[in-house]
Amino acid sequence: MQYELRTQVIEPRRKTFTNLTERYGDRPATRYEEGSVDVQATANFHYRPLWDPTHEIYDPEYSALRLTDPYSFVDPRQFYYAPYVTSRAHLHEAFASTLAYLENRDLVERLPQGWKDLVARAVIPLRHYESGGQLIGAFGCRFGYGTTITQCLSYASFDRVGNAQLLSRLGISLDGGSDGILVSAKQAWMEDADLQPLRKYVELLLVEDDWAAQHVGLDLADQLIYGLLYTHLDETALLGGAGAYSLVAQHLSGWFTDNRRWVDALYAAWGRDPEHGAANKAELSALVARLLPGALEGALGVARIADRCLDAGAVAYVETRARALAAAFAPEES
Amino acid sequence: MAAPRKLSMKQRYAALTRDLDWDLSYVDEDKAYPYTSFEGIKIHDWSKWEDPFRLTIDAYMKYQAEKDKRLYAVLDSFAQGQGHLQLTDPSYLNAMKLFLQGVTPLEYQAHRNFAYLARFLNGPGPRFAALCQSQDELRHAQTEIHTLSNYNKYYQGMHSWQHQHDRVWYLSVPKSYFDDAVTAGPFEFLIAIGFSFEYLLTNLLFVPFMSGASFNGDLPTMTFGFSAQSDESRHMTLGLEAIKFMLEQDPDNVPIVQAWIDKWFWRGYRLLALVSQMLDYMLPRKVMSWKEAFELYFEEQMLGGLFPDLAYYGITPPRHVEHAIAEKEVLSHQVYWTLYQFSFAAGFTTTIPSEDAQKWLAEQYPQTFEKLYKPLWGKAAAVVDNGGRYFYQGLPQLCQVCQVPMLFTEPGDPTTICQRHTEFEGERYDFCSDGCQWIFEREPEKYVQAWLPVHQIYQGNCGGPTVPDVLAWYKLQPGDNGEIAGNLEQTAWETWHATSSAEEQAPAPVAGN
Repeated sequence: MQYELRTQVIEPRRKTFTNLTERYGDRPATRYEEGSVDVQATANFHYRPLWDPTHEIYDPEYSALRLTDPYSFVDPRQFYYAPYVTSRAHLHEAFASTLAYLENRDLVERLPQGWKDLVARAVIPLRHYESGGQLIGAFGCRFGYGTTITQCLSYASFDRVGNAQLLSRLGISLDGGSDGILVSAKQAWMEDADLQPLRKYVELLLVEDDWAAQHVGLDLADQLIYGLLYTHLDETALLGGAGAYSLVAQHLSGWFTDNRRWVDALYAAWGRDPEHGAANKAELSALVARLLPGALEGALGVARIADRCLDAGAVAYVETRARALAAAFAPEES
Repeated sequence: MAAPRKLSMKQRYAALTRDLDWDLSYVDEDKAYPYTSFEGIKIHDWSKWEDPFRLTIDAYMKYQAEKDKRLYAVLDSFAQGQGHLQLTDPSYLNAMKLFLQGVTPLEYQAHRNFAYLARFLNGPGPRFAALCQSQDELRHAQTEIHTLSNYNKYYQGMHSWQHQHDRVWYLSVPKSYFDDAVTAGPFEFLIAIGFSFEYLLTNLLFVPFMSGASFNGDLPTMTFGFSAQSDESRHMTLGLEAIKFMLEQDPDNVPIVQAWIDKWFWRGYRLLALVSQMLDYMLPRKVMSWKEAFELYFEEQMLGGLFPDLAYYGITPPRHVEHAIAEKEVLSHQVYWTLYQFSFAAGFTTTIPSEDAQKWLAEQYPQTFEKLYKPLWGKAAAVVDNGGRYFYQGLPQLCQVCQVPMLFTEPGDPTTICQRHTEFEGERYDFCSDGCQWIFEREPEKYVQAWLPVHQIYQGNCGGPTVPDVLAWYKLQPGDNGEIAGNLEQTAWETWHATSSAEEQAPAPVAGN
């Protein structure tokens, strides 16, 4: 049995905003579309930046990678602000319960020594790497062209602070509520010979002029480092009696999988662009050829630390992943 | 070995935020942060920045997600229940049309340029605060779009807001204002937007719209306003910290900051001309007059409250403020009278104020309304009585800086139009006021670049030579513009209300048994 409510029916005059009807036809739009597509100004800018008079305020020429229609890229996750913060609220809540679980049972304390060393020497120092990623995302958010792209970069930037805070909280927990490990991890980030290639790589990325070069460069390092620490070593942890490590790693690998969705969609959009597709592919190949050696050197440093702590085949893993990346972005045979 | 000391809340916050930063050694700091020297602001110690709020990412996400959940629940139920029928009058939505076309794109620009600060300020504390604000501003742009999206389905004037923001003549007032801010350096932007817009003038900009919503049955916008409040208070503390930080870092910063306050007060005040007419003329149910709002939110709270505090640093009230004070009796009337004559080319509608409204205006403005403005409305009414509608034939001259038509009068003389001009590189540039002329003369190379809508129309860059060509290029649709009385929004509104009262007569449906 059900009851019928009578409500006044008024035929709407239009289903959504005109720009969306022009793009997608006469259909209702999603909140993602209404809040993202065509939102950035594109015309009749009044003044040029005092700090860069060669460009307009928003200018596709801030990057060598171009889209004929910037909105040919949309975020597969359909993140506008509300679903984004909701998703990340869940991530941080889940991480907090994991950490509470580990703390209640002294599971961090009971990690095998090799794993404790790995966390302190290789994982926690990467909160600074995340902080570099924060700057790269913010840069792309300002200089990217088109709201669907810059919105993803903006969330990615904020995510990096979030990830850095997850790692920091793990460090504080590992040190019984104090910052001893954070302090030594920062010293390692600044001085440990195995971490210098990665720090150098991140610093050099920060002064790349093209936001897309910074973004792609970060992604190359991410693919090696997240792959190593949160996928490859996660398997090792499960086999090696370090379940606590796996419990933490799941949150970072889960974030990485989520982030890859838009990053891969952007690569695809660049590649299939009707006008710039071929040039974009060539530019991407050149970028990867130029940046991958530095990313590899940086990740290998982290892998060497991991192998010293655990002998987990980390260096071999990173080398294999780097070869796969080089192949994936290799110039097309003509 | 002694047990490690647990971190205090403050230390923990620092460990989770600014301690993530490190001193770059593989690249020069000047190369990584290239934009913080050209403005002349001297910062000796970035660590002296006091975090204006302490919010870790987990707390931010949780709090914001809960707020958005509540806001979107209100929007959904309002849409489902045809809540728009509860408005005082469809003409109320003119205020919201102006808001979506004129203010929402500014929130979006703030999102992008706070990201610029989040990248390029040298200190990690202010960078993180700017990143939070960048996120918030995106939230505001999107929640405003979503709040007004439901109205767009039934009413005119909202369907092409972004297209119009980049093109329509009166929208070049807010657009040029924000373009000016984002093309300035990072410190000037902090004073322009962080301080002047978000602190000095925020109560004059946002409160009138949100209060107007609550007085006129616009539940979604009112809910949005409440939902944005805690974000805005963070933005206000950031703006205040920014100015204090700059002033405390070096005495040489004081005159630079003072000149920016002078510029951005007047720039923002001219933008508020649009708000003044909204308060006094567009709202069917009035909240307060512009004069009252200006006295309370600016003269009392800012001139009386804030500037005495800033005097400690050697900061004085903004240049030309006396002209703004003198104008409070005439501003809204002059602006609305102009919009009335040009609304055939606008994304909103205008009409002669009703008898009640004119009575209210006369009470609020005893010095000026009956003497100076009521007669104008009398003339407009005579035209209507003869079956016409007075629209101005031709295009107005715009001020080179604020881009408002040259409609303002001489300080102290409400019957003489104020006109200033300056020669620069052999060209003549016109201004509506001493304030705008002063701003031009500080940076003429910047303001000669302005995309002035009227010049652009004459140069043939706006769709064609005739008015219909230009309106088509604006993507105006029938019912978007012109006179309120008898337009399609009013007739639709009457039909909907006739239907709904007929249905109220019908026997109530019986719930399933």
